[in-house]
Amino acid sequence: MTDFVFATAQYESGDWDSAPMVPANIIDTIARYTSIDVAPTGVIVALASPAMFRYPLLYLTGHLPVRFTEAERSNLRAFADRGGLLFVDDHNHDIDGTFHKTATEELARVYGPLRSIPNTHPLYRTFFTFEDGPPTTSHELNGWGDNLVHKTLSGVERSGRLALVYSSKDYSSEWNYHPDNKRFLSVDNTKFAVNLVVYALTR
Amino acid sequence: MRRGAEWALRLALVAMLALSLWRATHEGASGPVTRTTRASDLTPLLAAATRTNRIGALEVEMDAFPAPAQRAWLVALRRAGVDVRWRGAVPVMAVAAERVREPRAAVRVLLTSGAGAAYVLSDSAGALDSLTVPAAGATLEAADVVGPVRARQGAYLSSVVAPEATPRRDVLVLGRASWESRFVSSALSEAGWRVRARIPTAPGVAVTDPAMLPLDTARYDVVVALDSTAADLGSAIERFIATGGGLVAVGSATTMGALRPLVPARAGTRRPGRILLDTDSMSRSDLPLRPLEGLSLDAVVLERRPDAVAVAVRRAGLGRVLAVGYDESWRWRMLGGVGGPAAHRRWWSHAVGLVAPERDVPPSMVGSGDAAPVAMLVGALGPASLARLPALQVGQRTLPLALLIVIVAALLAETASRRFRGAR
Repeated sequence: MTDFVFATAQYESGDWDSAPMVPANIIDTIARYTSIDVAPTGVIVALASPAMFRYPLLYLTGHLPVRFTEAERSNLRAFADRGGLLFVDDHNHDIDGTFHKTATEELARVYGPLRSIPNTHPLYRTFFTFEDGPPTTSHELNGWGDNLVHKTLSGVERSGRLALVYSSKDYSSEWNYHPDNKRFLSVDNTKFAVNLVVYALTR
Repeated sequence: MRRGAEWALRLALVAMLALSLWRATHEGASGPVTRTTRASDLTPLLAAATRTNRIGALEVEMDAFPAPAQRAWLVALRRAGVDVRWRGAVPVMAVAAERVREPRAAVRVLLTSGAGAAYVLSDSAGALDSLTVPAAGATLEAADVVGPVRARQGAYLSSVVAPEATPRRDVLVLGRASWESRFVSSALSEAGWRVRARIPTAPGVAVTDPAMLPLDTARYDVVVALDSTAADLGSAIERFIATGGGLVAVGSATTMGALRPLVPARAGTRRPGRILLDTDSMSRSDLPLRPLEGLSLDAVVLERRPDAVAVAVRRAGLGRVLAVGYDESWRWRMLGGVGGPAAHRRWWSHAVGLVAPERDVPPSMVGSGDAAPVAMLVGALGPASLARLPALQVGQRTLPLALLIVIVAALLAETASRRFRGAR
């Protein structure tokens, strides 16, 4: 039995590495709250490579326009068909931004139309309970980006399980700090990452 | 003197006519006969042999197998005193049908016959397949069948009725939060099993079904223990197996103290698999393996890898236990190419089905079935006769003709005698 490895998706267009501290922070959170065997470092895996199938949970973010290559699209289709979960976060927090417009268009080509995930979804109760759905971020509350507080996440289900989770809440900014700095927070803002990982591993 | 002879002839005529009349009204008086027929044209003769007792022996040339009703009819005739025999080089064949113990409940048809024999399998809806039977027999799976399954070799036919499918009960998956737990549960759900799971995620915290317990055969068919997190349920699993449930024990689950007496073997030291970075063509043989060791005497090995046992099964109490040495089977699904998910799903569903309790009740085959027609034929009528029955008993059959000739001769003699002496 090998450990859970947190994987960041690398794609040819855009800036896939815009939130380099997120993996370490999520790994720290998983180790802090759960008994899941987690690898101490994450990996970066190219969407165009078959190696991506070794990591059934992938994290994808960026600010810039996203245009997948045909190999990336083909691999993502297979990834979804085989049961992988892709978590995409808009690092701009802007539904008029280039990342959101291009990424949602590309994802719809691969997964079909994205739908709002109801706030009663097991994703919000699978480890920590988030009664009001996805937790807000300081970037939403401070009015940055599109100046909206997004009430729900979007996604696509396959066989009753989420295959894609799309966030406009900019968790990439919210979680992009060194894990040691958690001690300065009154409430750990990365708890929702535990739900994402536990959901992927158990549902 | 002459008148006396004429009276004697008249009396003889009356006696012979009375005898003929008596014979005509009592058919048995002409004596039993032997009749030969083909199995494909048996019914008229069976009816005749039943209506009259003139047929004393019946020889059937088996150019086809008699239907069960005809076979029972022949047995009845034999018991009624008819010497029933059969001849012919009939093909040895037998067919069986069972429900696969999985939610889809496909029908598995097993056929045995002489090696190289060509068969056509069909049901009431039409042909299922045609095949040539190898020495070890042949197996065919059909999603479902309509009516009896028939195996035909030329004019020879064997048939069997598949048991009705019964709904399967739940499967309980026990394992830590890992890709293996997730993808085994997914595979079983996709195969149609109703899956409940208990997946610990932190000390005292688990993703679980609130109605998971009690663990009994009224609710569950099989428990899948993927690792040692099942330890606290060891005694409940032991009771579950003793009362007819099934257990699939993987990796470290095979070495748990509570399950050790139940499992057919324990998993040994892990051998790395053949997982290449940039390939998407992994198969089951490429998976990491914990070879099964210390096989119990009643263990049956189901899968081997070079120098290692990968899967074994045994009976325990009223249930069955499967030990699996494969580790991280989820990689087969994710890295197994286009067919990986389906192959992974099939394998896991089959593994669970192997130890699921048998609840299908096959229809009775005694006396009514035609699954093994040669065996049924020999059981009913004995082995084939080597020699033909003796020819027809001509003397007995021709007696009425001789009697007629004598009657006519006596009539002519009596009339001539009267006319020659001038009487009318």
